[in-house]
Order: sequence, then C-alpha cells, then structure tokens
Amino acid sequence: MTISKVCVIGAGTMGAGIAAQVANAGVPVLLLDIVRDEADRSSVAKGALERLKKAEPAAFMSKAAARLVETGNIEDDLAKVAECDWVIEAIIERIDLKHALYAKLEAVRKPGTAVSSNTSTIPLEKLIEGRSEAFRRDFLITHFFNPPRYMRLLEVVAGKDSDPALVASVSDFADRALGKSVVVAKDTPGFLANRVGTFWLQVAFNAAFDLGVSVEDADAIGGKPMGIPKTGIFGLVDLVGIDLMPHLKVSMSATLPAGDPYHAIAKDHPLILKMIEDGYTGRKGKGGFYRINKEAGKVKEAINLQTGDYAKAKKPVSIPSVAQKDLRALVLAKGIVGAYAWAVLGPTLSYAAGLIGEASDDILAIDTAMKLGYNWKYGPFELIDRLGSAEFAARLEAEGNAVPEIVKLAAGRPFYRVEGGVREYLGTDGAYHPVVRPEGVLLLEDIKAASKPLVKTASAALWDIGDGVVCLEFTGKMNALDGEVMKAIEKAIPLVQESYKALVVYNEGSNFSAGANLGLALFAMNIAAWGEVEKLVTGGQKAYKALKYAPFPVVAAPFGMALGGGCEICLNADAVQAHAETYIGLVECGVGLIPGWGGCGEMIERFRDDPKLPKGPMVAVSKAFETISTATVAKSAANAKEIGYFRPTDGITMNRDRLLADAKTRALALVEGYTPPTPPTFRLPGAGGRAALDLAVRSFAAQGKATPYDQVVAGKLAWVLTGGEADLVDTVTEEQMLALEAGQFMTLVRDERTVARVEHMLTTGKPLRN
Amino acid sequence: MQTYKAPLRDMRFVLNELHNDDGFGDLPAHEEFTPDLVDAVLEEAAKICEDVLLPLNRSGDEEGCHWERHADGTTTVRTPEGFKDAYDQFVQNGWNALVTPPEFGGQGLPESLGKMVEEMICAANVSFSLYPGLTNGAICALTAYASDELKAAYLHKMVSGQWSGTMCLTEAHCGTDLGLLRTKADPVGDGSYKINGAKIFISAGEQDLTENIIHLVLARLPDAPAGVKGISLFLVPKFVPDDAGDPGARNGVTCTAIEHKMGIKASATCQMQFEDSIGWLVGQPHKGMEAMFTMMNAERVGVGIQGLGIGEAAYQSAVWYAKDRLQSRSLSGAKYPEKPADPIIVHPDVRRMLMTMRAYNEGCRAISGWVGRALDAEKHGADAQTRARAKDFVALMTPVVKAMFTDLGLESASLSVQTYGGHGFIRESGVEQYMRDARIAMIYEGTNGIQALDLVGRKLPTDMGRLLRSFFHPVSAFIEESKGEGPMQKMIEGLERAFGALQLSTATIAERGMKDPEEAGAAATDYLRLLGLVAMAYCFAKSVKIAGFQLAFGTQEKEFYQAKINTATFFYDRILPQSAALFLAIKSGKGSTMAMPEDAF
Repeated sequence: MTISKVCVIGAGTMGAGIAAQVANAGVPVLLLDIVRDEADRSSVAKGALERLKKAEPAAFMSKAAARLVETGNIEDDLAKVAECDWVIEAIIERIDLKHALYAKLEAVRKPGTAVSSNTSTIPLEKLIEGRSEAFRRDFLITHFFNPPRYMRLLEVVAGKDSDPALVASVSDFADRALGKSVVVAKDTPGFLANRVGTFWLQVAFNAAFDLGVSVEDADAIGGKPMGIPKTGIFGLVDLVGIDLMPHLKVSMSATLPAGDPYHAIAKDHPLILKMIEDGYTGRKGKGGFYRINKEAGKVKEAINLQTGDYAKAKKPVSIPSVAQKDLRALVLAKGIVGAYAWAVLGPTLSYAAGLIGEASDDILAIDTAMKLGYNWKYGPFELIDRLGSAEFAARLEAEGNAVPEIVKLAAGRPFYRVEGGVREYLGTDGAYHPVVRPEGVLLLEDIKAASKPLVKTASAALWDIGDGVVCLEFTGKMNALDGEVMKAIEKAIPLVQESYKALVVYNEGSNFSAGANLGLALFAMNIAAWGEVEKLVTGGQKAYKALKYAPFPVVAAPFGMALGGGCEICLNADAVQAHAETYIGLVECGVGLIPGWGGCGEMIERFRDDPKLPKGPMVAVSKAFETISTATVAKSAANAKEIGYFRPTDGITMNRDRLLADAKTRALALVEGYTPPTPPTFRLPGAGGRAALDLAVRSFAAQGKATPYDQVVAGKLAWVLTGGEADLVDTVTEEQMLALEAGQFMTLVRDERTVARVEHMLTTGKPLRN
Repeated sequence: MQTYKAPLRDMRFVLNELHNDDGFGDLPAHEEFTPDLVDAVLEEAAKICEDVLLPLNRSGDEEGCHWERHADGTTTVRTPEGFKDAYDQFVQNGWNALVTPPEFGGQGLPESLGKMVEEMICAANVSFSLYPGLTNGAICALTAYASDELKAAYLHKMVSGQWSGTMCLTEAHCGTDLGLLRTKADPVGDGSYKINGAKIFISAGEQDLTENIIHLVLARLPDAPAGVKGISLFLVPKFVPDDAGDPGARNGVTCTAIEHKMGIKASATCQMQFEDSIGWLVGQPHKGMEAMFTMMNAERVGVGIQGLGIGEAAYQSAVWYAKDRLQSRSLSGAKYPEKPADPIIVHPDVRRMLMTMRAYNEGCRAISGWVGRALDAEKHGADAQTRARAKDFVALMTPVVKAMFTDLGLESASLSVQTYGGHGFIRESGVEQYMRDARIAMIYEGTNGIQALDLVGRKLPTDMGRLLRSFFHPVSAFIEESKGEGPMQKMIEGLERAFGALQLSTATIAERGMKDPEEAGAAATDYLRLLGLVAMAYCFAKSVKIAGFQLAFGTQEKEFYQAKINTATFFYDRILPQSAALFLAIKSGKGSTMAMPEDAF
C-alpha cells in the first residue's frame, strides 16, 4: 500500500499538528473538523490551519508545505476520505463520538484505507466495538506526541484483527515520510511512554512532598544528573500544564488493572489542586511551580511546597561532581540528594521494568519510548544499567520491595552489552540478542561500537562506514570547529583518495555544529594572539577548499544547528543530504564577524547559479549580502532551500536515524564519473555596488534596525562581496575572494566591539547589540 | 648604613610621563592635582620619611615592641621609642589620609600618587608603615560595606588617624583556608553581636599610638553554613564609643601576647582574645569574605609596595657602600690610583648586583604607577568601559604586584647584604634588617604561592581570559606600532619574544589547566613571574621611547634619561632572558613536580 494522501479528522492541537507534519513530508492532507459556523462551515479547520501557520515553534517546514493542507468539515467533505489512503482520527477523547465517526467512515472510505486513532486513553478493543471485520482489519492506534513535528516518538498499537501488512505500511510511512521512530506497544492503558511518565511524575511529586525537598532542589537532582531535561520534573509540568495532572490520575486510575502499583501512589496533593483552582496552571496560566515576578523586576520565583508561598528561586542544593556523572554516586549521595534521587528512580525504574510482558515484550521499546517521548537521555533499562542491575535489585530487596521479573532474569547482568562490536540487549528469554536496526538505518553509534577510527584528532574522527565511504565526525565540545577538525580534513583527503570512494560529513551530537570554537577564538583574541586567529581562518579556508576540490564526492549531512563554520562546510560539499530539522545559517555578523571559511564566495556562487534569479553582477551580491548581514537562519531544511543555503537538488531526510544511510547512498551515487568542480571566477561590482549596499544598511540604521557597529560589520562584508578594489571589468578568482574574506575578518577580530560581542555571546548566550 | 633619599625624579617620571597613553585617559576628578601640586606632595613626603621615619627604622628593630600587663589585669603594647611622636607628626600633617575619601575628612588624592608616598614610607620604615596602612585597609572595607550609622560613628576618626584599624582573620588553626574559622558571633537582640574567639598574627592589634582601635573581625553567626560561605564581618572597637562619640566602655578585647618575629619587629603582631566583645555586622550576613576581600585586595597591592620600598632602600644602602668601600683594583686598571684601592663599584660583579636591584626597583615602580592609575580610573574613569577595563587590569595585576614585588624586594635585600660582604651579615650595617623585614611580605595577605594560584586559577580563566585583555592588548599594540627601523629594534624584538613566550604559556596553561587543575597549579609561580617580567619589559621599552624623544629634543635632564636607557638596556640584556627559561619550565608541565611519591620525601 502506498500512502499518497492522508486525511486527519479533528483539527485540535494534535490533529492539526499531525496534518502539518504530513504536509511537511510533501504529502497532500485533508484536515476536517465539525461544523460550528453555518456561514463558514469549515471555519474550525480553516482556523486551525491559520494557527498552524503562525505556530511557535513553527509547525510547517516551508510555505509550500502549508499549501498541501486542504481544509473541510465532516458533514460536507467526508466523502473526500475516499481519496485518502490513511485516515487519522484525532478528535476529542469520547468513545461515543469516536464510534459515531467510525460508523460514518465505514461508509465513505475505500476498502484498504488505513484508519487510525490518536487516542491516548481508550483501548483499541473498545474503539472497534461494533465495527465491520474489514474496518477492524484496517484499524490501528497511532499515538503521536506533542508537538507532532518535533516529537520523534510514535506509538503504534495493533489490534488482534489488524492486518499486519497494513500496520507495516502505516509504520513505514510514519518512519520514512513523517520521520517518526515507531515503537510497538500492546493495547494497555497509557501505552508505554505515558504509562511510565505518569508514574514517574507522580512519584517525583510525592517524594518532594514527603521528603520536604524544595522545587528547586527536586529539579536540580531529578533533572540533569539523571539525564532528564534540565527543567526537571516541576519545570516540565509547568511546561505541559499542571491541570493535566489530575486528568492523568483519573484516566490512569480508571483504566489500569487492579493491583497495578500506580494505584498505591496515585494521589492529589491539596496544594496542586489549589494551584489549578487559582489559575496557577503553569506557563500557560498565571505561573506554576515557578513564576516570573514582573513586579519585583522579572525575578524567577519558586513555590514553597509546604506553605504555597512564592519566594525568589534559590540556588539549588549542590550536587557532588561525581554524582553529576555517576548515577550510582547520585543515589548514594548524602542528604536529600541521594534520598530524593533514589525515591524517584527506585520506584520508577522498578515500575518500568515490571511492564515487560504486560505492556511490551521488548526493553528496547520502553527505552525508546521514554527517550523520544519524554526526552530522557537514557531509557529506564539503560538507567538500571547505570545503577548496576545487581545493585539495583539488592537495594530493592533490602528495602523490602519486589524485584521485577526481568531484573531477576538479568541476574546481575546488564540489559545492554557490546559483544564483538555488536550492541546487544537482554531478551525476555534471558539471552542476549543483537539490536537490529531497520533496513535503511545506519547509525554511527553502532559503527563506533564495532570499530576503531581510521584517524582521530582532538576534535574530529574519521570512520569507515562501509562500501568505500568514510565519515568525518566532529567530536569536540558542542561539535565546535577548530584546527583539530581541519587537521582531520587534511588527513581525510589522501586517505579517501587512496583507499575509499567518498566522504560524508556527519555526526550524532545534539547539533551538527554551531560553528567555530568561539571560546578558543576569544581566548586567542584576549591574549592578542592574532597570528593564531589568522591561522584558524586561513587553515579553515584551506581545509574546506581541499574538501571542495577533492577528487572524490563529499556529502554533508547536517541536522539540528549548522551555523557559521558548520554551514560553510555544507556550502563547500558537492551535495547535501539534510535532516528535515536542520537550522542552518551564516550567523557571524551577530558576533561582529563575517564568514571566514569561504562562506562569502560560496553564497555568491549559489545565488549566481540560481536559475530563478535574474542575471547581472549585483543580484547575487545583494542576495548574499542580505542573507549574511542579517544572520539569517533557516527554520528547516526545506526553508534552507528557499533561502539558498541548500541547492534545489539537495536531499532531505525526514527520519533522523536514516540520515547517514541516505547521505551515504547519495555519496555513492556521485562516485561514478565524478569530476571535482572547476574553481569559479567572479565579476563583482566593486565600489559602485558597495554604494548601493551601504544605502540599504543606512536605511536599516535609520529605522533603528541596525546599530552603528552593525553598519561597520556590514561595511566589511560589503567590501568582500563586491570584490574589494576590483570593479566590473576585473575577474576575481576564488582565491582572491578568500584573501579578501580573511583580511576583513582579521580587521574585525581586532576591533574591541567585536571582542565585546563575542564575549557577550559566550558569557550570556545572547547577542550584544552594540 | 641604612641610607635613603626618595627617588623623586623617577617617581615624577612614572606619574607624569610614562603612562599618559595607557588608555585610561585624564581623570576630570583629579584635574586639581596638577604636576606642581604633586611635586610638592612628593617633596614633603620625602622629608618626613627621610627625616623622621628613617632614623627610627634601626632603633625600632633593635628595641621591638613591649607587651605589658598592668596591675588591674589589663594588657597594653608599647611601641618602640619615638614611634608615638613620629605617628603624631605623621597624622598631624595628614600623611595617613592622603587618598582616603574627602567625605570623611580625607584628602582624596589620586591613588597613583598615594602609591609613591607609600613606597617612600615603606622604604624608610616598613614596620611603621603597617600602623597607618592597616587603618586604611579597614577604612576601605567600611566605606564599601558598613551601614551609614557605623560609617558616621567611626570613619571620621579613623580617617583623621585618631583611631586605627586592624583586620582579624587568622586563627591558630587556619590562615590560608579561612573556611575552618571558629570565632563565633551571637546576636544580642539590639542589633549588636557578642563575639567570642581567639585570633593570631594581628598586626597593630594593640598599640599606644591611637586612643582607640577598631578591629574588623571575621566570625560565624549561629546559623552559618559551613566553610567560607558562612563567614561574616564584624566591627569590634577596643573602646565602645559613648553618646558623644568618644571612646567609652572598654570592650572585651585583650591582647594576650605579641609574637617574637624574624623581622618587622617594631610592628606589634598580636594574639587577640575576644570575650563577649560587642560588635556590629559589616555588610550582609555570611558575606564577610566579600567585604574582607575588598580590604585584602587593596592591602595586597600595598604589600607589594612594601617589597618595592625595601628594595629601593636596600639598593641605595648598597650603592653608598659600593662607593665607600675600597677593595682591589678594577680589572681594567686602577681607577683611583691615589687611593689604596678602588671602590668596589668598579667591579663587574658588584655592578651586576647594583644594576639588578636598580632595574627591579625602576621596573616595579613603573608597574606600580600603572596600577595606581588604573585604581584611579576604576573609580573616576570617564565611561563605564574605561572603568571596567581599569578594574580588570587592577584585578589581573594585584597578585603580580603582591608576589613579584615582594620576591624581588627580598632578592634586592639579599644582593645588598652581598654587596656589603661580611659587614652585611653584621647587625650594625643595617642591611640585614632589610632581608628580615622583607621576608614577611612574601607571606602575609596571602602567600606568594596563593597569589600565583589566584592569577592562574581565578584571574586567567575569567570569561575566556577577559582580564588578560587589559594587559595583552596594550602590549601587543605597542609592539606593532614600534616595530620597524630605529634604534629600539633590538629591544622591541626582545619584548616581542618575551611577549610571545607569555602568550604561549598562557594558552598552554589555559588548555592544560582546563583538563587538569594541577597543571595550572604547577605552572602558577613561574607564570606569575613571566607576566611580571613582560610588564616590566613593556614599561622599560616605553621609558626608552620617551627618553629617546627627550634626548633627541635636547632635554635639560640628559643624565636622568640616559640612565633610564642604561637601566632598561641592562634589564633587556640580563634579566628579561629569564622569560625563555620560565617558558620552558612552564611547558615541561607538572610531571616531575608531582611524580615523587609522598613516602620518598
């Protein structure tokens, strides 16, 4: 079954968000909701579409994607379901309404069209009551997480009548087109992520009240040291809405089987009920466990769980440095640190482990669900491994608590191990099985576990990823780029030329790269080591050009942030295979610099070669100037194509896990008959062009959009982009462009105002507008 | 023989010529202090130092302080003969209140000038300098942190010199690590506190120079967190002021003994007992270290100046002897054939010692003038950026001034003894006192090892080296603008090499120290000296540039400027090459320093 059109019914937050993601995949989608306004019968869905366009963070990846959403209402437009291959129901959680809708769908859908519900609370068995056999065969649950564009988890529940082929088709579409990691769950309440998540939040709340741990301390202990986002527990609930808590409790209490450990811990804390009553529902309300007191001058305050009063958020309890990295040390730490950590982890991990058999047969599914659904860095079983499964079991036993069966089965062995370079997990049969990646998924993590790097420097490594392809991985802190990365590139060129076919630039950090190591640069600037800074610039230029003109194809595979030097390496590659969630841009001007690793010339080349733009020497220059001087960052890979950072021919991969394999395929496709590009020459407008650019900057300044120093920086950028001393009759070579770029970069580096900007960015994380 | 004439010409050079282009600008607040006025102050200061304080230096050392127990059980300390009269004269002429704020009766003169006068006082009589010096430190802390009530009750009399101040930090079991401090402070309920505990090494803790002594005491409140974050600062007067503001009831503060010391014997170093003493909180509870460090930082620069002062006195005393003492003939033939032998100043090795001392003193004085200007700019700079840069510079250079100046002060004192030969080892020569007096400056207010750690551990890493900028940028810019043809090229190349060694060492320490703090710790002392030498080299090169202009334009003071060039050239030839050795030492890392098992010691 191929899915070439999708229908989403229910244009609430979830339904609309799912529709947007389908559109992001380039698939037309019909978004339907009820009729509320006789004059404009599709107003509900239309309104949802308008909200989607303005959503923050953005729901659509491009303007083109938004145009793929067709709106309608379930009374007039339901017949159009016949055009669709998959219908996703995302209406209110009421069984009667869902039943009624399914009955109508039976009449209009074409046979074989998949129908799924996005329910999070109603069992599949109940949903299909009264449906035809054909409908039951084509029905499943697809549980998305909010916001659907950004949360990678999709829980899929198949009923006993569901057609496995159809479930596989939907899962495959969700995986490849929508970019989701599909986790198979059984038809049990809350499925996997919310089942564990609800328990975890409740336990964490209870422990904070019982042990008298403050909100600030609880989040400091229960956040980063456990590999949980630094908002911690209370910060997270503020984000999702405190009013959700009682709902979760009601729903879980009503649906979980008697004897489930959740019943013993479920309770409403009077303070929380009062907060909800008073409108303190979190960030969307008047505030939550934290609030910003604007009267006191934007002071962050935290609630006292004992008294309910707010006071200035205190610096949390200090966590011993060893306990920040070692989970064993954390749960054994003295005082409230260890006590609270264990009070949360002990029961939560125990509960998650107890779900094996009932909710899932697979520890991988539960770990993946928590990592992708709740942004845990480690899943529950990985956390148990970090505690030591023997120690974990011993402590549970010593404290008189039941040890989950799967932990008994592990008998002190870890849940995961690497054997002969292969990552293995412990199955319910007590034996280890290799972690099998889906076809078309290639992870550097697996390659790294199984092999040694071909080359390693302090900030980069080269890996053999098979079929004659080498991967250049950045390994420095935050994947920052420095001389050690350039060293790896220099080593890569002869290595690939002699023994391999192609190179991909890829890594598995949280971002591709946020650019050059600014801290290092600032330190060099502070000690007036201008020669070192210049070496960093010219060394980078040389390395990137060596990549560009290497006698083999180079494919960059960016994802997340690809800024500054991280963007420039993509510009110098033969092709890009980007993850859909790539935020790429040349942002140097924000810190008082200009692109220094060839970005200036590359951008002119991009715009000059863009068939959609008019010809003439000024067009490409002004486009490059506008893009770079405003430090434009693309909000997605599709947006990067619109801006011009990516070529129309560059590829986009929706599923993060498939990026490396796609990049490798792309690189191999270029191998046959590969010839390196010819170095470009430019005809640039010189002084005349600068006058035009200068005029534009001045008008920005007059409107208060550019500071005096922005004008200085823009002036240097204009000097480079217009070719410096050259004018229209001259031919400017790429090398001359690079020299211009390095020269202007160095004058900026030595300006105290640039130093101030860089320092401000590094110390506060925010740009300085001087 | 202890001999000292304040080096007024060099001081004027540093104040008026050397640092005019240091980027801190002219300070409108100091416009009234014209060079003429500054000259007058320097000359008068020289007089009291040379005529009143210097003669008391040796007698004070011989006599020491006297701890006395009286019939009523009280104890007092009597300073050596002449100290009380000298102090009265000193205070009457306002020398104690040169730089203190006018709002409390001080004269508000520039710090840069104040540092020069401090140098003279230390050169003449370092023991004496401690009495007014500590009072000024206490005034600093109170001005910055005390409540308006406390300021009103105490500051005027402290500024006038009628009352003195002390800082009470050290206890028998804790010096460097104040987190271990035990002295307690319990609230009485009326806003005051009862202080209980014992302190040691309290300079001027008890004396007979002033009618009241105001102790600034570090102690713990009952609810204090453990460690340095639980320390508060209290003001504890010897006599609690009465309603009229005069010394009233005797407080429970007793000097139980004075220390028997290697040097600075005329300074009373006291053991103090606080028994239910009444005190008042200065600043916020548990924030005592912050307030104390305001005082401490100012004091650290002051201690560095002690090293410089002693170095200058030791140098002048050695010059006097080298010209006076006749031994052997010059290697190049008799210079004074009419005398039985030539004065020893003709000998190259004696010259080496004299030139070394001279270069140290002039180099340190130039840095002192630079830091003095920054201290002024920190307060009165024209804009926020200038003030911030000045503050960064002071913070960076404070440990360098403290540690390098005092190291070199002792070295000069030792070279002075060496110049005297056997006579230097004899008390009567007076120069062995300089060695003994100089020794403490390397220890108190944070040992020189602690200063070096402060430099590499705190000052260097702040905001990716922000503080370094205030020093590295002017030096780098100077090298670039001075490069090219001309008589100074050899010197500029030397500066560039030393600066390069400093840059590389800085980067090395930053990189290794981030991974392993012990690496930074092992490099710290060498690094501090390297930075200090480069600072001196920079100042000397600037001096030579100025001297070159003056000579080219036919100055009347040819000798002074020519001598400046000679000293600078000696520094570049014979001292600055140490920078290469320091760089190699730093580069070698902590390995051999830390490798020896403890048992093998």
